[in-house]
Amino acid sequence: MINILTTALHFIGITIFSAALGLFFMGIARKIVARIQKRYGPPIYQPYLDVIKLFGKKAITHGFIFDFGTIMAFGGVIATLFFVPLGAWTLYSLNGTVVLIIYLLAIASLGMAMGTVGSGNPQASIGISRALTQMLGYELPYLVILFGLIYKYQTSSVFGLAQAQAGGIMNWNLFTYPVATVLAFVILIGMTGKKPFDAMIAPSEIGSGPVVESGGKYLGMMMLQKSITIIVELALFVNLFLGGADNILSFSIKMLIVWILATMVGSLFPRFKIEEGVKFFWKWPLIIAIIQVLFIIY
Amino acid sequence: MRNEKEVIELIEKNLSPLETEEKRAQNISVKFGPEDTIQALSFLKSKGYKQLSTISCVDWIDDNEFELVYHLYSYDDFINISVKTRIDREKAKFVTLKEVWPVAEFYERDIHDFFGVEFEGNDDLEELILENWNDIPPMRKDFDTRKFVNDEYEWRDYDGQKHTD
Amino acid sequence: MKEKFKRGKWKEFLDWAQNKSLSMLHYCTGCGAIELPPTMTSRYDMSRFGIGQAATPRQADLLLVTGYLSTKTLRRIIYTYEQMQEPKFVVGFGSCTINGGMYWDSYNTIKQLDKYLPVELYIAGCMPRPEAILDGFLELKQKIDSGEAKGYEEYEENIEFYHKNQEEVLGEVQRTQ
Repeated sequence: MINILTTALHFIGITIFSAALGLFFMGIARKIVARIQKRYGPPIYQPYLDVIKLFGKKAITHGFIFDFGTIMAFGGVIATLFFVPLGAWTLYSLNGTVVLIIYLLAIASLGMAMGTVGSGNPQASIGISRALTQMLGYELPYLVILFGLIYKYQTSSVFGLAQAQAGGIMNWNLFTYPVATVLAFVILIGMTGKKPFDAMIAPSEIGSGPVVESGGKYLGMMMLQKSITIIVELALFVNLFLGGADNILSFSIKMLIVWILATMVGSLFPRFKIEEGVKFFWKWPLIIAIIQVLFIIY
Repeated sequence: MRNEKEVIELIEKNLSPLETEEKRAQNISVKFGPEDTIQALSFLKSKGYKQLSTISCVDWIDDNEFELVYHLYSYDDFINISVKTRIDREKAKFVTLKEVWPVAEFYERDIHDFFGVEFEGNDDLEELILENWNDIPPMRKDFDTRKFVNDEYEWRDYDGQKHTD
Repeated sequence: MKEKFKRGKWKEFLDWAQNKSLSMLHYCTGCGAIELPPTMTSRYDMSRFGIGQAATPRQADLLLVTGYLSTKTLRRIIYTYEQMQEPKFVVGFGSCTINGGMYWDSYNTIKQLDKYLPVELYIAGCMPRPEAILDGFLELKQKIDSGEAKGYEEYEENIEFYHKNQEEVLGEVQRTQ
């Protein structure tokens, strides 16, 4: 009984911590982009105020499927969170593998797709079909790199891959396989939806994509979902290529450095069309990844 | 590439204009009777004046006539030609130019909306810019816009003093 | 005279959060919208006050009516205003929304925005400069924080007055539900 209670408290604690950290990262990203554009930006705690304001507004609903889709998107990403080790907090990650996380990340997008079917707006369906197409694009080179790493270290759990890089800085995958790390960084920019791969959000073109009909509480939930998604993807990158960490503080600092670099790269580009984005991922990153994996195997 | 005098000679030789004038550099104005206009426009289109820039309408209320002006432009000669005709103001009817230039359908719809000119052959003459308008066509010179505004709308009350006139 | 009832603590907290983060719908109706891009970009930065941009009416709190409104646009703006979620605010820009402005003798523009939508604040000028716009926004934020910005409630209460004025000028407005 006490076991169940402590596990439940663990769940809630990790969710709240990830949401708060994710919103903090989003605030830092806005400040960095503002400084690059030579202006002062909003204060760093601005996303917290946005979320509080959004939960205080009234919202209208478009039916049961719309509500259910929003909850499924939010719940799916929380479920993914429990399989990713954050520093020394390994909740269920000893039971799960990398492939599990990759396909759990797809549940969030499917939840949003259900929500857009419920809302009935054609711009939302264009947005979500672009998001799913882009996921098809970037997962292919990512999985090739992952299979290379799994072959090398003979284990496929994320925690095991992080442990296998222990023993000093030079053991990190960043220094043993630098090409794979750079490729995974480019794919990270595609995963988090930064420019040049943000055709799925596209504010002026399709009215911000899948969240076009959400207002008030639904938009607040979508914002929290986005912040937790950022944490999951960054944690995956740090665990696989930067050696994990022993405590949550150094883990957060590593995630922060990767996030700052991704934001700085992402603020320079215009937007790709969706066909160009997928073609990009299937051309040079795929070829380089295959060469790298052959290099690992032989 | 022709210059303006050659274009005027070309028009006077093949068609029968009432009046031609070279207004300034790259700008010519030609006047026809209402029966010859469509034929003149087709002839000019075949001679390289492919772009119909717009169709405008002028209200000569003292002569009791409307004047339709067709603005053409050529990319070979770089000359603008304004082709003018006059039609009657009471029964404002003219033939459509839809078969020669398909885009003329919208310009004629605009003129029908604002001046009340009927175009035979163009059966799509609904409102383009106005909505739910049930007064006389507003660009005619006998439409008193200040009287209309003072009747329809109210002015803001600044402590008893309203906007006058 | 409407008596001011006391706001509860929760509503005060929500008003404070609302004034710190406004999202503006970028709907440019008239010629005044030319002063919005300088206000939003690097020189007179608007986002440091917490005011961001919203892409659709469902995500927005603030509707800016920048300039004159022809009757054709007024119909669409009423649809847009009724799509926004509460609490929502309308700000009138320029002198065309106050008393007709430069186009006071036109047969097609409306003269007083106040009769068709509940307006919180007018910003005077033809066109107001970005400094004036920022000054107006700061006053709007203060008004929201103290709880006086209740335009959306007035729209609900006096809805027959607004509907009557709208239908007088537009002929007939299609209402949902």
